[in-house]
Amino acid sequence: MGWTGRILAGAKFLAPLAVLLVLWPILIRAFNVNPQIFPDITAVARAGLESIRDGSLFAHMGASLARVAVGTVLAILVAVPLGVLMGVSPGVSAFLTPLLRFFSVLAGIAWIPIATLWFGYGFGAITFVIFNAVFFIVAYNTLLGVSTIPMQVRNAAASLGAGRWTMLAEVLLPGALPNIVTGVRTGLGFAWRGLIAAEIIATNIGLGYMIFVARDFYRTEVIVFGMIVIGALWLLIDRLLLAPVERATIERWGMVRSA
Amino acid sequence: MNPALQAWSLYARATKRWPALAALVPFIPVVALWWIVAAAGVFPRAFFPSPPDVVRSFADLVYKGILPEYLEDSVARLAVGAAAGMAIGIPLGLLVGLSRKAHAALWPPLLFFQAIGDIAWLPILLIWFGFGLATMTFVIVYTVLFPVVLNTVLGVRSVPVELHRAALSLGASKPRILWEVVLPGALPNIITGLRNGLGYGWRALIAAEMIVGTSGVGFLMFDARRAGSVVEIVLGMIVLGLLWYIVDAWVLAPIERATGQRWGLVTR
Amino acid sequence: MKSLAIRNLSKTYFDAYAGAHVDAVRDVSLEVPEGEFVSIVGPSGCGKTTILNMVAGFIAPSSGEILVGDHAVAGPGPDRGVVFQSFALFPWKTVLENVAFGPKMRGVGKPERERIAREFLSLAGLSHAAERYPNELSGGMQQRVGVARALANEPDVLLMDEPFASVDAQTRMTLQEELTRIWQERRSTVLFITHDVPEAVFLANRVVVLSKGRVLEEVDIPLPRPRRWDALVESDDFKALANQVLQLVRSA
Ligand SMILES: Nc1ncnc2c1ncn2[C@@H]1O[C@H](COP(=O)(O)OP(=O)(O)OP(=O)(O)O)[C@@H](O)[C@H]1O
Ligand SMILES: [Mg+2]
Repeated sequence: MGWTGRILAGAKFLAPLAVLLVLWPILIRAFNVNPQIFPDITAVARAGLESIRDGSLFAHMGASLARVAVGTVLAILVAVPLGVLMGVSPGVSAFLTPLLRFFSVLAGIAWIPIATLWFGYGFGAITFVIFNAVFFIVAYNTLLGVSTIPMQVRNAAASLGAGRWTMLAEVLLPGALPNIVTGVRTGLGFAWRGLIAAEIIATNIGLGYMIFVARDFYRTEVIVFGMIVIGALWLLIDRLLLAPVERATIERWGMVRSA
Repeated sequence: MNPALQAWSLYARATKRWPALAALVPFIPVVALWWIVAAAGVFPRAFFPSPPDVVRSFADLVYKGILPEYLEDSVARLAVGAAAGMAIGIPLGLLVGLSRKAHAALWPPLLFFQAIGDIAWLPILLIWFGFGLATMTFVIVYTVLFPVVLNTVLGVRSVPVELHRAALSLGASKPRILWEVVLPGALPNIITGLRNGLGYGWRALIAAEMIVGTSGVGFLMFDARRAGSVVEIVLGMIVLGLLWYIVDAWVLAPIERATGQRWGLVTR
Repeated sequence: MKSLAIRNLSKTYFDAYAGAHVDAVRDVSLEVPEGEFVSIVGPSGCGKTTILNMVAGFIAPSSGEILVGDHAVAGPGPDRGVVFQSFALFPWKTVLENVAFGPKMRGVGKPERERIAREFLSLAGLSHAAERYPNELSGGMQQRVGVARALANEPDVLLMDEPFASVDAQTRMTLQEELTRIWQERRSTVLFITHDVPEAVFLANRVVVLSKGRVLEEVDIPLPRPRRWDALVESDDFKALANQVLQLVRSA
């Protein structure tokens, strides 16, 4: 596809969203909606501009993104080596799979109460929740990825003279990579929701806090602005960061994917 | 043979015979370790209860009838949310998957609204509906809906054009094709969507119960947090894990085995 | 059973990728009288599938017309049965349900359509596999189901697009012999597409050689029936005809 084609596709994608943007103020006026129920687009824009001017938007965004980044990076750094280690032996991986599945089911939000007890309200608890959401799912997927690398491939590598570290770097990690990436994407999906929930409950800064506090004053324009920021940030993270990486690994390896 | 290996091979044979064992035995060392750490008093008891404490609190809450009642509330909310999410999501997914026009108009907003995570809706929902059932139901339906729609679309589009053609040249009408070809062809994806949707919906429910709830497992845990009772929090987490395990093993997995896997559409 | 007539058929694709028009089929005319078996051969990309898809009604011609009996083709329909190279069986239906699909769409009741399906399954030698799912069958068996499914709907014309291309050589020969047997029993009007010259000659009453979207030549195949491979490979008539067609295809 040439660049004209790409622009055309982009325009086609944005057109329905533009229609929504146009309909929004028209509907608000037509039904004379109380701004305490749903804000007009101009109010939302004003709230957005104001939060940019007084810097509060960047403070909240920064806090949220920092928590996600720290929690996720830590989780990946621990989970991937652990997953590889556990996946090397079929017996060990079969034994540990139910444990990891149990904990990845709990990943994220379910840890909020105990995390806030252990770490108190604030950065620690929220980062812990995110770490948790990503860690178990990535570890489980890494384990799955390593243990599904066919024995023949490992034997082939060994018979070609691969030592322990070459095996790790050339066979096990690349072989598990598609699963790892999928795990990160799923885990981050849970982590992002967990973040918003945790920020509603357990802090005084962050996007979740921003929209929840606005509720106390019926400032729907701040809430809606916050929702748009949350949605747009996730779209950016998911579509620009995670999806391309996943596509690059998965499609190269000819595996199935789901939405 | 050395005894460790012998024990291992015994275990391997036993789990082959009773697969449920393979899911349970790995928890024994974890619980044992937990017990030892708790008994050794490394952490204060109030922060780190031991397994018997949790069992006692389980018995206590069951006896008082609180746990069964809360569990029922949570499961009922999830079931209603899942049913409504599918009732809206599957037809919508079929429409978007089959009609080019519907796809052009609805796909971008679907992606956008999916990105605004369910929980971010809570503040405005609280303004609209107040603290109560309507808010929670909205959140769950919203959460289940998107994975179901998006995966249904994917499923519809993954049905090979040859199957449409085969059905047409065997005399099938459009509605018959929907029922006989499109729906079964998309079914494995629809189930994947339901699985993801329940996974998200489940967490959203817990969050909603914590933030707005007056009952439910999430509320139980958060209420315990307010009272500083770690035992009940841990109990709640275990209940949540078990519950999902049951839904997965007794509801989702059998459906998957009977459909996509039997038909050879999904390999496992 | 009805005749098939193709008159001045053309198809021009627009290739969006290359930004150019492709004349896939140019002014093809062809008559298949009632009960005749006609094969179309030609090199890859000469327009065979395009012709068959137009006859089946899956794609619309750019110009020309197609008649089944005296009815003009306007879209897919049960009067033309199609056997696909990829088998195109419904994975979620058992073999029996696949074969009973056409009668079911006609509103035939369950006992009756299962009786019909069993009849055609036994014709295809598959009675024992009725309750299995397609993914539990070998490729050769799947294609037998594909043929039985098309026949069970009693079409006026049977259309087959390289139906045996994706099975192994042994199975292919068996399937070809079975197809001639079934054809002799039922005398369907058949349009059969292949790029395998011996296959085309073995099966057909007449072979049409296609080249770059045009009919190059038609060759009558007056070999006696029933045809069997062990007899025909020795036969000079068969060799001569196959050679003649092969030369045409190579010059195409
Ligand atoms: N949808 C399409 N769009 C553009 N061009 C097409 C399309 N389908 C087929 N063509 C072109 O039309 C020509 C004829 O294609 P067709 O599939 O009919 O060939 P064929 O004889 O069946 O070949 P094969 O033996 O490989 O199956 C080819 O050049 C092909 O590239
Ligand atoms: Mg072809």
